[in-house]
Amino acid sequence: MNPLPLSVIGGYLGAGKTTLINRLLAGDHGLRLTILVNDFGAINIDSALLQSVSEDTIELTNGCVCCTLSGDLFYAVGDVLERPVRPDHLLIEASGIADPAKIANVALTEKDLRYSGILTVIDGLNFAQHMADTRIAPQLLAQVHCADMIAVSKTDQHDVELTRTLEEICITSWLNADDIGALSRILFEPELPRELSASRPTTHPRYVTWSSNCPEPFTERELRSLIASTPPGILRLKAVIPNAAGGYFEVHVVGKIRQITRRSDAATLGVIAIGLESALKVQAVDEWWNSTG
Amino acid sequence: MTDIQVIKARKILTMDRAVPDATHVAIKDGRILAVGDASCAEQWGSFTIDDSLSEAVLLPGFVEGHAHLMAGSIWDHSYVGYHDRTDPQGTFWPGISSTDEVVKRLKGVADHAPDGAPVFGWGFDPIFFSSERLSRKHLDMVSPDRPVAVLFSNFHLMCANSAALELAGYSEDTLAEGVVKGEDGAPTGELQEMAAMFPVLRRINIDFRSLSQSEAALESYAKTAVRAGVTTITDLLSMMQDEDLDQMLSVTGRHEYPLRLVPAIAASGNPAQIAERALNLRGKSTDKLRLGAVKVMTDGSIQGWTARVRWPGYVGGQPNGLWNTAPDEIFAIADELHSRGVQMHIHVNGDEAAEVCLDALEAAARQSPWPAARHVLQHCQMMDRALYRRAAELGVACNVFANHIWYFGDQHAAFTIGLDRARRMDAVRTAIDEGVSCAIHSDAPVTPLGPLFTAWCAVNRQTMSGITLGEAECITVAEALELITLGAARTLKLDSEIGSISPGKRADFAIIGDDPFAVDKTQLKDIPVLGTVFGGQINLI
Repeated sequence: MNPLPLSVIGGYLGAGKTTLINRLLAGDHGLRLTILVNDFGAINIDSALLQSVSEDTIELTNGCVCCTLSGDLFYAVGDVLERPVRPDHLLIEASGIADPAKIANVALTEKDLRYSGILTVIDGLNFAQHMADTRIAPQLLAQVHCADMIAVSKTDQHDVELTRTLEEICITSWLNADDIGALSRILFEPELPRELSASRPTTHPRYVTWSSNCPEPFTERELRSLIASTPPGILRLKAVIPNAAGGYFEVHVVGKIRQITRRSDAATLGVIAIGLESALKVQAVDEWWNSTG
Repeated sequence: MTDIQVIKARKILTMDRAVPDATHVAIKDGRILAVGDASCAEQWGSFTIDDSLSEAVLLPGFVEGHAHLMAGSIWDHSYVGYHDRTDPQGTFWPGISSTDEVVKRLKGVADHAPDGAPVFGWGFDPIFFSSERLSRKHLDMVSPDRPVAVLFSNFHLMCANSAALELAGYSEDTLAEGVVKGEDGAPTGELQEMAAMFPVLRRINIDFRSLSQSEAALESYAKTAVRAGVTTITDLLSMMQDEDLDQMLSVTGRHEYPLRLVPAIAASGNPAQIAERALNLRGKSTDKLRLGAVKVMTDGSIQGWTARVRWPGYVGGQPNGLWNTAPDEIFAIADELHSRGVQMHIHVNGDEAAEVCLDALEAAARQSPWPAARHVLQHCQMMDRALYRRAAELGVACNVFANHIWYFGDQHAAFTIGLDRARRMDAVRTAIDEGVSCAIHSDAPVTPLGPLFTAWCAVNRQTMSGITLGEAECITVAEALELITLGAARTLKLDSEIGSISPGKRADFAIIGDDPFAVDKTQLKDIPVLGTVFGGQINLI
């Protein structure tokens, strides 16, 4: 069975995580999502947006295993993996104070899961004020620094104070939390057959896509060295390519995480990379990919 | 025929100042009819005398205000901890003080287990000895082909053998935080934190949830309680689901089930939902299953450096700990639950967490008057006199983690908060002096269930190295006995029904082998527990 992609949505109380998840649920990605909620909020996941029995939400509680003797979040992930019909994608809404990395790490340890990114939502109106609260600032900083992508909510223009606060913690690029199209593109795995057969690249004001559909065989060593030096700006990359030693490699790059697995069969070969329009240079990707020639 | 039964004992310590000492207690319909001497029941008609306990001493049934249901069922697996322990069946497990002994004990288990069955050890605590770090290689000696895993006592670390690592798919290719690699690039077997432990736990069928929620777990919990003289116990972070309720009602409803269970459900969902659920559960309470309270997590643990502590912080310069619930959330939960009349048990280890929670409870109290709320701060390990005074002013009860002094006191002095603050940790003397309604607890299975041991800790404040840590915070034997009976009952708002041997209360007693006032206070923990009387029914171990 294919590993189940897992993404974690982090961010402080009231940042807009649930709103964002509701919008993801309503999107036209065609994926069946399961959502684990580890947060309490004023808004609930809108059950009207859950379209089938395999789409659902499960509420969980906070706390580390030594204090709660439970680890119920992880066991809930295990329950989803045991289902006869798995969803296409698992989203975990982290609690307002949780470190999303500690949750997302299970996607790297559990072979039945695949890491599919940490998205941290920043409250565009209150982030600077929250960061000034020394009781919680270290945990908020950790949420931001582990993120593969930052989404800023509640503001459509670049607020000066917010921009300065973000720059102080070395965050220079982010998406608007309302830009569900771009966020979906980064959170959900691209579907190679559909993407590669598109007559022309999809255009979007915020992100760019680069793809190639006639990959040459790689040795594992070549592939690892190539993947270790991806050009800047790639938020997500997926590749299915022939293994020079027989069979295929499947490659997923999400932010800083690179996962290479061997597989025996593959229907569609190709590679696709996605990044922000402001950060990803298509030509650089082209040159990088062809550098092993 | 008579339905009045009189139990005769060598001595009965009632915790009721009207009749502090007695030799006979009369019971009718599971409740205490009268207490005094052989004639105490005469005014009530004919009775029969049961003298099977005439050599024993009776105390009110002990009340454990902070424990977890897992304390019983964890014994389904092999104990490999440093301290001597006794399991629910009464089997004695000597403590383990080297890696070799771990291997030897687990090998003994493996040799008798069905083919391929996993072997799971728990409670491992290498902090107390200096042999080689436990690794895959050691556990491969337990068995080269069946999965073997050892969970550390702190629940944050586990070690697995090669077969277990292979089940999870861990290899030199695994690139994940928490899967520790050796110099050869292969996993050493050590797995840090739940994300790394979970893929192994899942494949060897260790589900913490079923350890905390199953018929067998409820039965083991009761056995563990009887051995400790406990007749009322909490499950202080219950993950019970709606479908679990029927099972709990059915098991606790059995006539012979010798325990009153008080679960506090985990605060999950938004505050209004939590309140709704707690109030709904409260309406389903029975005598032996008391529902309706909520547990709120706030910070982590001091020995894990995750407790939120005030300035000057940890002596090693570690960053201040972690909130599991943000201060803003604590305020929101406190406000809603207080206004809806739901009692909260609030986990606070560090003093900053205690302060934030008192702030939140004070704000809630300003919004909605409820003088009898009796919310309880749990653990309270770093609370000082000023914080206890605030708790007393607010009517907030404090259940103090007295066992920590023995188990972790030396570590706290050396590594976490330093000797000065360690001497005022778990400051029961101060809490009592400030007029706080207080209790003391074990947090079983974190430390073993045993109220007499917990009382000994609060009386003697002795650490494992033998020093007295903070003599000024020691309490008397009489005070300690009150804290493990009436004191704990008060934190559960059950002090009108249990906690003393008084006419009208439930006939719940601890049966012990000696008079706690007749032995030296340093021997309090060594008094044997012989069993309990629950609702008039004698349960000897």
